[in-house]
Amino acid sequence: MLKINLHLIEYAINSLLRSKTKSIFITTIFTLLVFLLTSIFFISNSIKYELNSTVDSLPQIIVQNIKGGKSYDIKTNIVDDIINIPGVSDAIPRVWGYYFFENAGVNFSLVGINSYETQYKNSFNELIENYDLEEDSMIVGSGVKKLLEQNYYKNYFNFIKPDGDFKKLNIGGTFNGDTQLESNDLIIMSIENAREIFDMSKSKATDISVKVDNPIEIPMISSKIKSMYPNTRVITNSDLKVSYQNIFDYKSGIFLALFAICLFTFFIIIYDKSSGLSSEEKKEIGILKAIGWTVDDVLKEKFVEGAIVSIFAYLLGVIFAFIFVYILQAPILRNIFEGYSILRTTFELPFVLDLQTLSLVFFLSVPVYIAATIIPSWRTATLDADEVIR
Amino acid sequence: MIELKNITKIYDLNINNKVTALNDINLKFNEGELIVLKGSSGSGKSTILSLVAALSKPTMGEVIVDNKRISKLPDNFASLYRRENIGFIFQKYNLIPTLSVKENILLPLVPNNPNEDECNSKLNIVLEQFNISNKKDTIVKNLSGGEQQRVAISRALINNPKIIIADEPTANLDEKLSLDFIDMLRQLKSQNKTIVVATHDPLFFNLDFVDKVIEIKNGNII
Repeated sequence: MLKINLHLIEYAINSLLRSKTKSIFITTIFTLLVFLLTSIFFISNSIKYELNSTVDSLPQIIVQNIKGGKSYDIKTNIVDDIINIPGVSDAIPRVWGYYFFENAGVNFSLVGINSYETQYKNSFNELIENYDLEEDSMIVGSGVKKLLEQNYYKNYFNFIKPDGDFKKLNIGGTFNGDTQLESNDLIIMSIENAREIFDMSKSKATDISVKVDNPIEIPMISSKIKSMYPNTRVITNSDLKVSYQNIFDYKSGIFLALFAICLFTFFIIIYDKSSGLSSEEKKEIGILKAIGWTVDDVLKEKFVEGAIVSIFAYLLGVIFAFIFVYILQAPILRNIFEGYSILRTTFELPFVLDLQTLSLVFFLSVPVYIAATIIPSWRTATLDADEVIR
Repeated sequence: MIELKNITKIYDLNINNKVTALNDINLKFNEGELIVLKGSSGSGKSTILSLVAALSKPTMGEVIVDNKRISKLPDNFASLYRRENIGFIFQKYNLIPTLSVKENILLPLVPNNPNEDECNSKLNIVLEQFNISNKKDTIVKNLSGGEQQRVAISRALINNPKIIIADEPTANLDEKLSLDFIDMLRQLKSQNKTIVVATHDPLFFNLDFVDKVIEIKNGNII
């Protein structure tokens, strides 16, 4: 049976404590690098999760009216033609748009809904069941509510219409959306109020959301709509996914650069460590060999030393990253991702446990460090002890 | 028991600089003998000790201990041979200065992973034998030269080796401590240990319990 050599572990710990300053320095650098790497992965995983959830909750097909490449309001009379396309289960005109709240310098997403109709999103159906959307009220996302309160709008908000008049709506309720990104900038109101704020006639809508029973048919149905109405732009949710992904990938590039810098720094330290031992360290190995330690014994001891430092620093780095990203919400680093599509209100990074990420950081750091500890010791330990001691 | 056959040892300092430390020497030591190798610095005494302890390998020739060709042993077996048979007392003690007396003495036992009782009993024997029990937890670098040497001797004897090798053991000691060391050698010899001492200290040359004094000069036996 394998018996753990506690004497060897004790010796390794003592050896680390003897060179306290060096051990603390290496552990600190190691921890910092693991912390940075893990934070980067944690943030990008959280945002990726948010984006995927956002895209998944979007309509399957959106039809927009295009003039000269620019999007305009679409006539609602084409809805019936679209519904008649085989495979289409529903087509809902949507009235929505962005409203710039100057005081806070952010955009809100305003969505007008008809309480008596089926909504294009399940979360809206749930909202209508839970809140009574009266003529002069609106339901706001929790992030919007927070932002309005910060600007002294506790119970209502005055929207400025295109003609300069105010449209006062009371805050009838607050909700948490499917995703943090959504609930932080979304305002839901009656379709009539939305039309008034955007100065849109009843025969028009911002776009048309189309539901398809079989998702496999989405490309075929979208091409049919396009051929029926050549002046429209037909966007599928997979198109949107690609577009979001592109923006995310661009931002990821900055993180990739940070990641590369971290790795580069780590490997410089590793190179420095693996390129040689101090004369004291060499002599110590020589002494151990001279009193009967084998090369294996020396390497085992060095393995324990490397493992203690690297695993301890790894765990510390991961814990710090966890606190930094999920409890402190990644100050400074998260700014890189802010404004990933338009100006947004703040959102919380959701906790996403990704064992792959943790394993990747582990295998990029711990075994590399242990190897860098063992290799120079092995070089010295395989020399004649006599030569090393002299 | 210990036999050096036609031993030549050449150190390659660099491509153009080779030093012949030993030149075709033959020696034989019997079990329980105390042998003194004398000679000036650089004569080759320490090289003989290194070869007997399997700390280095001869360029030519063989070292045979208890009928085993230890000069042919692979590195790990050479270490095991040292652990089981050799107690080496170095000139500069070669202790780990930042470890305590106890930790230094117990170092040769670490690879065998002995239990606490075994460690403590072996430790107490040598601590008492060399009168350093009261310094057990003192960091070695804070000890005097004589105390450090006693720690080095204790470490060399913790595994109860058959062969004790001492390289210039009194080089850093005053006369009183040197005489104490000689007394200790007398005790070890009475325990039938084979002892090889390399020294140029005249105190060793006329001792009544020394079996052989061998003079080495420029790598040759005189």
